[in-house]
Amino acid sequence: MQHIIETHNRVKEFDWQFSYVDKPQRYPTKYKIPKRTKDPFRHLIRDYCSMEQEKDDRQYGAMSDVMARAGLPGKASQRWMEIMKLVLPVTGFGEYAAVKSTGQLVDTIDNAELRQGYMAQMIDEVRHTNQVAHLTRYFAKHAHDPEGFSNGIALRSKSIQCRAGRAALQGFFAGDPIEGAINLQAVVETAFTNPLFVAMTEIAAANGDQATPTVFLSIQSDESRHMANGYATLAAVVSEPDNLPMLQQDFDRAFWRQHNFFDPLLSAVYDYFQEERSSSYLEKWTEWVDHDWAGAYIRKLEPFGLKIPRWFDEAKERMFWVGHTAAMVVYAAWPMMFWRHDPLNARDFEWFEKKYPGWYNHFGKWWEDFAAMSDPSSGMIPLMAMENLPPLCRVCHMPGVFPRPDIATMRVRMINGKKHGFCSDACEHIFREEPQRYLGSPTLFEEFDGMELGDFIEQNGFLRADGKTLIGQPHLNAKRMWTLKDIRALHYEIKDPLHKLPVQEVL
Amino acid sequence: MNAPVGTTVAVESARDFSFIKPAKRRLTEYEAVTIRQQWETGGFDKGGHFLTPADGRAPWRTESTALAHPDWFAFRDPAQLWQRPYIRMQAEQERAIERLTEDSVEAGAFADTDRAWLDEFIAGHYRVWSFFENGLFRAFAPAQREALSDCLGNALCFQAFDQMRHAQAIVSHLVAAEAVVPGLSDAGAKQRWLEDPAYQPLRRLVEQLVATDDWCEIPIATNLVILPLISEVAIGGLIRRQGPLHQDAISPYIALTADRDRRRNAAWTQALVKMVLDDKVPAATANRQVIEAWLVKWQSRALAAIAGLAPIAARVPAGAVDLTPLLVAARAQQDKLLEAAGLDAALLAELPS
Repeated sequence: MQHIIETHNRVKEFDWQFSYVDKPQRYPTKYKIPKRTKDPFRHLIRDYCSMEQEKDDRQYGAMSDVMARAGLPGKASQRWMEIMKLVLPVTGFGEYAAVKSTGQLVDTIDNAELRQGYMAQMIDEVRHTNQVAHLTRYFAKHAHDPEGFSNGIALRSKSIQCRAGRAALQGFFAGDPIEGAINLQAVVETAFTNPLFVAMTEIAAANGDQATPTVFLSIQSDESRHMANGYATLAAVVSEPDNLPMLQQDFDRAFWRQHNFFDPLLSAVYDYFQEERSSSYLEKWTEWVDHDWAGAYIRKLEPFGLKIPRWFDEAKERMFWVGHTAAMVVYAAWPMMFWRHDPLNARDFEWFEKKYPGWYNHFGKWWEDFAAMSDPSSGMIPLMAMENLPPLCRVCHMPGVFPRPDIATMRVRMINGKKHGFCSDACEHIFREEPQRYLGSPTLFEEFDGMELGDFIEQNGFLRADGKTLIGQPHLNAKRMWTLKDIRALHYEIKDPLHKLPVQEVL
Repeated sequence: MNAPVGTTVAVESARDFSFIKPAKRRLTEYEAVTIRQQWETGGFDKGGHFLTPADGRAPWRTESTALAHPDWFAFRDPAQLWQRPYIRMQAEQERAIERLTEDSVEAGAFADTDRAWLDEFIAGHYRVWSFFENGLFRAFAPAQREALSDCLGNALCFQAFDQMRHAQAIVSHLVAAEAVVPGLSDAGAKQRWLEDPAYQPLRRLVEQLVATDDWCEIPIATNLVILPLISEVAIGGLIRRQGPLHQDAISPYIALTADRDRRRNAAWTQALVKMVLDDKVPAATANRQVIEAWLVKWQSRALAAIAGLAPIAARVPAGAVDLTPLLVAARAQQDKLLEAAGLDAALLAELPS
């Protein structure tokens, strides 16, 4: 141990003040970072490599030696396995974005001790990216239905959820490196990886999916070090009083952006795709995010002046409904998805009413109608039953239907002669702070406005290997799958709802 | 409206990734877990940049390198490294160093090591080199951030880690040696790095590398010029070859593990160069001019750094070392590296040594 401490002490002295060139400030930061802080894990490469090799051997060995031979992925709940087709590409990009974030931090943070932690995290994130891709390929080989696993990455940029995921997760590296670290380490890794990588594994295991817990728990074993990196970064930032106002602003924004993507997504995944039922996402959120993150982790920083994020209470209030609304969006737009959607049954209805009292009054009828439209002979898809699609938010790219369609906080603004939808006060506020950051991409509905749904499906690769049958389906019945011909017969056109919606304010 | 009928036929689907074009007949594990993890706006992926930095510029920009290629995702690392085999390889290298050190301590081998060698070349020169390695790490970490594809970004990540591994291995070795060699200390190493005239051209060079923005220039300069010349002379010539003459088995071994990394990094850099110089690449001619300009620029700097080290070589306890034949041999090896990458080694022949 003494050897490690002494080695680490000297590694901390690796930096020097450049005197021959001025190092460019590639990633401008508004923060002042003290040169001396603590890396609680004393990251050293020798121990790191040994530890990670052992973890890799355990995880990959279990997958190749036991699970595949026993044919476990093929025996897992199909309902559950379908949503992994969405979860994995979103998670994979989050991990990849984190690789980029740590590269920025190494370049920007003039502190050799923190840099050692970022270096280990950089390779960790490559590890996680590889693990998630390996798991996806593993499911393509072994799951009941490989479509969506084998080609989901090619479909991600045509998916509402994946685009919204990119919009949120790019916050790890598209901006001030400290803002990226707040998004990555202080918010996502500390608040949301527990629900994603720990709580979700309980559901996966209960539904016969042993591979996801094996991979996700191995990932999470690295996350505790990343949380420490985040805490060390935050502690360094708050030790400079001048940083505090900016930090609070970035922290508020990071929490909202990540909450507004992760919570609807995880809630829908968790509650709507578990077949063998246990706890609800709301229960897990209350434990991991409300109590542990906001109630303990953030409160420890309050003496330094950092407060609970500005929109935390609003997020907490919306939590009861956002997952149901998100699930409705996912199921309603099923032909545009690359996974199958199992309709809810009586047992599910009972569970939802028990976990979310009042659920049936708001959503029950919709799910009964969905089930009735699931066979191609119905000649209906849920999108046809909706008078207007919700516009997609200019900031988060999520549909403007949250927290619940009848009380949606969506609004339309006219800015420089162009209409923009915002899903909430928070997203509009965030846009107004730095509008130029959110104008780099059309929303999905803007991009495909006016396109026949059949053309969207055919031209963008949403068909199975036979070139006729849709990848996305509104049920799990392999004998009654919807075809392109069925969709073309509906003559449904994707329309950007912003065209029709009135402008509430001109900015 | 015609009544839809649905399909009643189970569809046979591909049981592997269909979105990656394998470089050879079958998709490798490396390709499967590496390619298309980075979004390619305006190419493979629809949409634009969903969030940008405050200045509104794209988070990944084609102008981040002076080289041009229509498909940066076509690159393949010849070593086919992804995280698992990479970490396994480095864990093995580090374990080997650790065991050699432990066994040397147990056998009392440090008592046999030339004391002047330990003071001057291990606590001195080799320890000073660890700062240079730290500089290389700092150059490669942001280069991976800017890379225009995942396959290149990961190779840059691994090299960043390689350089820090070497830096830490040197420090760890010193800490172990100091525990059994009374009075041995690396206390003055940082000062020498900062002030000793012999190291200033080397420090200038690595500061220039860290300040380099082009993420392709960094590996090409490092792996085809800087390390083949400077590492070969300053570490290969002065540590790897001289260590055994001073009864030091550990330092040369650490240097050999770094050489293994260096060969691997040279190989992927050659693959990168060949890719951008391929006749089918529209910008191949312009790419060649850019790379040649880089080579000339960094060759001069590298030669100056080596020239600066002459006073260090003169202090080798077993006898002063003439750097000239070492450099001649290093340049001959560099010529082979360049030619194998499709570059004209004669371009650098006129530069004075």
